[in-house]
Amino acid sequence: MNQDLMRHLAEILPQIQGFIYPNEVEIHWGMLIVVYPYITGVVAGAFILASLVKVFNVKEVQPLYRLSLLTALAYLLVAPMALVSHLGHPGRFYEILLTPQTSSAMAMFGFVYAWYLMAVLLLEIWFVHRTDMIAWAEEKTGVMRFVYRALALFSRDTSARGVEFDHKALKTITIIGIPSAFLLHGYVGFIFGSIKANPWWSSVLIPIVFLFSAIVSGIALVILFYMVITPLAGGKINMKCVDKAVDFLFYAVIVDFSLEVVEFIHRVYQSEEEIKILSEMLMSKLFMSLIVIQVMLGMILPLAIISVTKIFRHRFSLNEDLRKMLYFISVLLIQFGIFATRWNVVIGGQMFSKSFRGLTTYKMEFGGLEGLLFALALLMLPVVILAILLKVLPPWKEMLAEGKDGDGRAVGGELPAPGA
Amino acid sequence: MVKFPEKMPDSLARLLVVFVVLTAVLAIAWVMIPTPMKSVHVQWDNAILREKAKPMRYAGAHACEECHGEIYGKKKAGYHRDLSCETCHGPAKTHTEDPDKTKPAIPATRSFCVQCHAYNPSRPRGFPQINPQGHNPLKPCAGCHNPHDPKPPTTPKECSACHGEIARTKAVSHHVQLECTTCHQAPQQHKITPRGVKPTKPQNREFCGKCHAKDTRETREKLAKSAPKIDMAEHGEKYVCWQCHYPHSPEVEN
Repeated sequence: MNQDLMRHLAEILPQIQGFIYPNEVEIHWGMLIVVYPYITGVVAGAFILASLVKVFNVKEVQPLYRLSLLTALAYLLVAPMALVSHLGHPGRFYEILLTPQTSSAMAMFGFVYAWYLMAVLLLEIWFVHRTDMIAWAEEKTGVMRFVYRALALFSRDTSARGVEFDHKALKTITIIGIPSAFLLHGYVGFIFGSIKANPWWSSVLIPIVFLFSAIVSGIALVILFYMVITPLAGGKINMKCVDKAVDFLFYAVIVDFSLEVVEFIHRVYQSEEEIKILSEMLMSKLFMSLIVIQVMLGMILPLAIISVTKIFRHRFSLNEDLRKMLYFISVLLIQFGIFATRWNVVIGGQMFSKSFRGLTTYKMEFGGLEGLLFALALLMLPVVILAILLKVLPPWKEMLAEGKDGDGRAVGGELPAPGA
Repeated sequence: MVKFPEKMPDSLARLLVVFVVLTAVLAIAWVMIPTPMKSVHVQWDNAILREKAKPMRYAGAHACEECHGEIYGKKKAGYHRDLSCETCHGPAKTHTEDPDKTKPAIPATRSFCVQCHAYNPSRPRGFPQINPQGHNPLKPCAGCHNPHDPKPPTTPKECSACHGEIARTKAVSHHVQLECTTCHQAPQQHKITPRGVKPTKPQNREFCGKCHAKDTRETREKLAKSAPKIDMAEHGEKYVCWQCHYPHSPEVEN
C-alpha cells in the first residue's frame, strides 16, 4: 500500500466503529454530491413558486415571479457543475449528451436537465422578457443595445397579437413546466431511491420527499432573496406578498415534514435487518445533522415560528418589522435544514457498512476538487449569476410595485403603521 | 429582413429558427462522432479482440493431470477440489510446454494460505478460518496440513489451539499448574461456534478466595494450600481481584 494512501487512511481508521468492508472506509460521494441535490432542489422549488402566479393565479406573489424565474435559472446553470466536477473531467460534460447511455440513470439526468433548461426555463424567461428586451434595446446604446436585440432574437414585434401569443405561450410552458420541475427533482430522488443495495436510500418515497423538500427550499430561498434584495434596490418589502409566500412555504414544510415522518415510521415498523445499524448511526454520527439541524432547527423551529405568527395573526399584523424578522429567521433556518437533509441522505447512506455491523466516518477535505472551498464556491456561484441576471433582466418594476397589481391598481388597504 | 409566414407569430418563428439551428448543430456533432464511441456493440467487440490478443499464461484446470495424475486425483477427492492447480502454483503454460525449463511456484509461506483462511467475519460461516497470530505461530502451514488434501476442521483438543497467547503466558506464570477449566467452564458448543457460545469467567472475589483467602489454610487441596493468602475482608476493599491482578500471569509478593 502506498504511503500517501496509508497516511490518508490513518486519519479515518481510528474513527471506524465495528466491522466494515475495506472498500467502505472512504466515503466517495462527498460534499459535491451534497451540493448537487440542494441546488437542483432550489431550481424546482423556485419554479413552482413562479407557477403559482401564472397557473394558479395567486396575484399576491406577483412581485416574486420574475425573481423566482431568474433564481431558478441561476441555480440550474450551476446544478450540473457539482456533478461533472465530481466525475473528475468537467471539460467532457457534453459527451454525456452526445453519446447517451440509456441504461444509466445518472447519464439520463443530462437529458432531463437539458429538457428543463431549454424547453422550460429559458423559453419561459424569454417570453416573459421579450417585449421588455425590445423596449430596453430602444433605450440603450452601444453594446448593450446589441445584447438586448440579440437576446430578443432581433424581434421587434410589440403588436397586441404578439403580446397575446406571449401570454398564451407562457401559460402553456408553465403547465408543461410543473411536471418538468417535478421530473427534475423527482429524478434526483430517484437516483438515490433506486439503489436497492442501500437500505438508507432504497425507498419509493425518496423521490417524493425530495420533491417536497425541493419546493420548501426553493420558496424559502426566493423569499430570502426578495427580503434581502428589495431594500438594497431601494424598495419596500411588500408584506402582503411575503405573507402569502410564507403561507405556501408553511404548507409545503408541513407536507414535507409529514412525508418524512411517514417514511420514518414505515422504516421503524418494518424493522428490517438494517434497523439496528441505522438507529445507531442516527444516534451517533448523524445526531447533529439529522436530529438537531434537519428536524429541530430546520423544520420544527421554523414551523413553530410561522405558526405563532399565524395564531396571533392580529397581534403580529400590527408589527411588520417583527414579522419580517421572524420570517427571515425561518427561511434562513429552513435553508440550513434542507441542506442538512441532503447531507444526511448522501453522507448518511455511505456511513454504515453493507454488512450492517459497523460505521465509518466522513472526513471532508478543505481544498481540492472535492473540498469545502470548492463546494462553497459552487454555492456562491448561483448568487453571482443571479446578480448578473438581475442586472441584464431587471425585475425591479414588478418587484418594487408594492401593493399594486399588474395593471397598477392598488390591491388591499395599506397595513397600519408599526405600533399603531 | 426575412419575411416569415403571415399566420405564424413572430416570436414563434424566431424560436423555430433557433431550434432548427440547435438541432442541426447536434446532428452534425452526432455524425462527426466516430462510431466506436457511440455503439456499445462495437465497444464490446473491440474489448473481445483486445482480450484475445493477450498472450495465454494459464494452462487450464486439467492440463496438470497428464503428468501429475496422482496428486491431481488426491486433490480432486479432497476439500480443495474446486481450486485449480494454478490457483496456488501460478500460471503454468510455459511449464506444460517445456517441463524442465520452468517450474511452477510452490507457495510455502504462512502469508499465502491466510489469504483465504485468516479470520474475517465476511467469510461464510463454517469456512475454515484461523487467527494467524494465535494459530501455531511461525510453523509453516504445510507442516501440519497437506495442501492437496486438507482435512476438515476438527474440534480443537486444547484451549491453546486457539488461545495460544494466553496459554504461553500462563505457562510461565504462577498459575502454570492450573487447568483452564479450573476457572472457566467451556461448553462443548464453544468449540464449534466459538463466538456464539462463550466459556464462563469468574464473576466475584469469592471465586479467587477459594484458594487465596486466609481461612482456606486448612484445605486439603495441595495447590490451594500453597497459594498466597490474603484477608478477604481487608484486601482490595470493593475491587474485584482482576482489576489489579492479571489471572493468567498473577504477580506474587512475598
